[in-house]
Amino acid sequence: MGDGGTPAPMNGWNYIRLVYALRRVSVSISSEDMLDAQVCLDRFPNIPDKQILKSLFIRRPQDLTIFETIWRILYDTQEAVQDDVEEGTAIAVLDEDQDSFGIGGQGVGHGSGGISLTSKGHCLDTSHITELVPFARLEELTSSGLEFEEVVKTILAEMDYYTWINTYDLAYLRNELSEESWYQHQDSRNSLIREIRQQVFAAQVSQENSWEPLARQHWLVKPLSTLSVEEKDLVKSSIRKWARKLALRPGSRWKTSHRGLIDIARVIQQSVQCDGSIFQLSYRQRIPRASELVVICDVSNSMAAFVEFLIHIVTCLRARFRKIRVFFFIDSVWDVSDFVWDDDLCAVKQEIKSWGRKASSGFSDYGAVFKELAEDQLRDLSSRATLVILGDGKNNYRPAQEEYIAHISSKVRNVFWLNPLDSQEWNESDNMMKEYQKHCSKVYRCRTARDLQKIVKDIF
Amino acid sequence: MQASPLDLAQVLKEEGYLIDEESATTLFLSLALEKPCLIEGPAGVGKTQLALALARVEKRKLIRLQCYEGLDLNKALYDWNYAKQLLRLQLAKTEEWNEIKTDLFSEEFLLTRPLLESIVSPEPVLLLIDELDKSDEEFESFLLELLAERQVTIPELGTIVAKTSPIVILTSNNTRDFSDALRRRCIHIYLTYPTLEREISILRSQAPELSDRLTKDVCEFVAKVRKLPLQKLPSVSETIDFARALNTLQRETLNYGNLMGTLSILLKYPKDIAKLEERLKKWEMEALQRR
Repeated sequence: MGDGGTPAPMNGWNYIRLVYALRRVSVSISSEDMLDAQVCLDRFPNIPDKQILKSLFIRRPQDLTIFETIWRILYDTQEAVQDDVEEGTAIAVLDEDQDSFGIGGQGVGHGSGGISLTSKGHCLDTSHITELVPFARLEELTSSGLEFEEVVKTILAEMDYYTWINTYDLAYLRNELSEESWYQHQDSRNSLIREIRQQVFAAQVSQENSWEPLARQHWLVKPLSTLSVEEKDLVKSSIRKWARKLALRPGSRWKTSHRGLIDIARVIQQSVQCDGSIFQLSYRQRIPRASELVVICDVSNSMAAFVEFLIHIVTCLRARFRKIRVFFFIDSVWDVSDFVWDDDLCAVKQEIKSWGRKASSGFSDYGAVFKELAEDQLRDLSSRATLVILGDGKNNYRPAQEEYIAHISSKVRNVFWLNPLDSQEWNESDNMMKEYQKHCSKVYRCRTARDLQKIVKDIF
Repeated sequence: MQASPLDLAQVLKEEGYLIDEESATTLFLSLALEKPCLIEGPAGVGKTQLALALARVEKRKLIRLQCYEGLDLNKALYDWNYAKQLLRLQLAKTEEWNEIKTDLFSEEFLLTRPLLESIVSPEPVLLLIDELDKSDEEFESFLLELLAERQVTIPELGTIVAKTSPIVILTSNNTRDFSDALRRRCIHIYLTYPTLEREISILRSQAPELSDRLTKDVCEFVAKVRKLPLQKLPSVSETIDFARALNTLQRETLNYGNLMGTLSILLKYPKDIAKLEERLKKWEMEALQRR
């Protein structure tokens, strides 16, 4: 086999390790794929191993990053990275001494003694980006048992990342930074974060001696609030796929009901096959429409990330309902039904952010919200309506006023509660889920894309 | 078949298609393994053009199936010629039923559609299944047998195996995801917008009448536009049209303040054009400051 530019030769053991790692992170590789790869590795020694294996094993663009990470962990030896880092730190410090003025002149701090990005200018040298990451500190944080995202945030904070981006955000807003430099800066940000994430992955995998840290970061099982822009797009694209399937699923209530419209074209086609005689009529498949969907969403800061996805689901499924009403709330309710009909959801996102103008405080008050709904909105709802509540149930020690949700529940067909918290957190002292739960038809955890998938299937 | 990915890239270049090294390697491996190649990417990055260029390189007849919502087997694989069958029945009123019934479902009454045509063709073909994401999931499932075994099954006739193994290229604009079963049977290429250098080369080869200055200006401008949050980013073909339009208007360079009326060639949504017009003012000011 060709060496493919890898430090360790691609022998059988390395090959099996790569396949095992990819399978652990949900990349499906069959025996036939392995055989094909083996054939190509033997037949084309001049093509780099990495290129062959990437071409044959990766079938979704989103899996490319994970392949690169695994490849790096397996074949770019730890010693090499560490040597580079030690050498690079010296270079970086030297650079810092030579030129320590960034645009705007703000926040030239040095964190906890590592490299400060504020002295690096708007654009980082991507070929030396690995050297900027404080590897020893990263390992220390990883071994302290912090969660993945926490480690990444801590490292970024210690590198003065947030001051750095803030400086350039302000400079751009004040027209002190050209558009071209702004885009270069954005690229630098993304490269740096990608690099840190890869290094944290490597450290966690080494620490736990397992591929579990990578598997936990799969977009289907990650909390929706921590998804990157690309991952959010993936979830939304999956939601569209689930919605499309649902739009074609005939409902049970049509099975014994009218058979629907006659499909003239199909009847004629079949009659021609039978010498012009009509033996049976064909019917168009009917798509059922539920009567009414009412969605109420808590849009306080902790919930905003989840609301976006639920609204996306409702938008995709709007054709299935005769009527849809959407309310946002924090400590009072406002109607946002009109925004759901806009496909790009810009207005909804704006509305989620604008809660400060609508709510008297920033703290959720479920009791007051249910009271308002029961008194002002309930008379307009159909008795066959389905009510979906998205909220964490944290009532900030205010009275639960559960009689109002009980009243609402008795007037509509179903009440489903979607909660982004894990079920053990529902019993915390300021959480009212235990009171509200008994008035709901069903309560779902709605934390990850996989949870959403189940909810879409069950509720809609 | 070419001896290496570089050779493949070179012959594709001779046919007017510039491919990057990574995609050339993946395409080369799919040809070597005789596996279907699924090319994904945004609209207008050259997915279909790659298939067309490959057909010319391999000197194969191109059979193209354009997918759309509602595409079914009758339009993609085969149909029975019912009118002809009826005529046959009219003529055969005196014959024995047992003789006619086998005859009625023979190849004589079969209408071949693109998929079947690619299977029964005696000469080597390249089958292009274009924009598969627009078809229904049932159709995608049906394709599995063809993609894996290079054969199709017609209930009345049995299984028909390909006479010459066709090269199969599937393209998709990512409007929906495909099943794992389909992906597993294909080698995957993700084409995206070309780098600045590659787009300049493409423009030079596709529109040689343009001056070097205008070519470079247009490509830099389009690369900048692609960074904006637009509903639809400009494709390579739109870059070529835009550059040609400027050339027709006898512009030797691209001037931000002088693009009104030409932007609709590059962008297709009024919202996007409005966004770009707003940015043009800023870019023009920045350009003036630089001078």
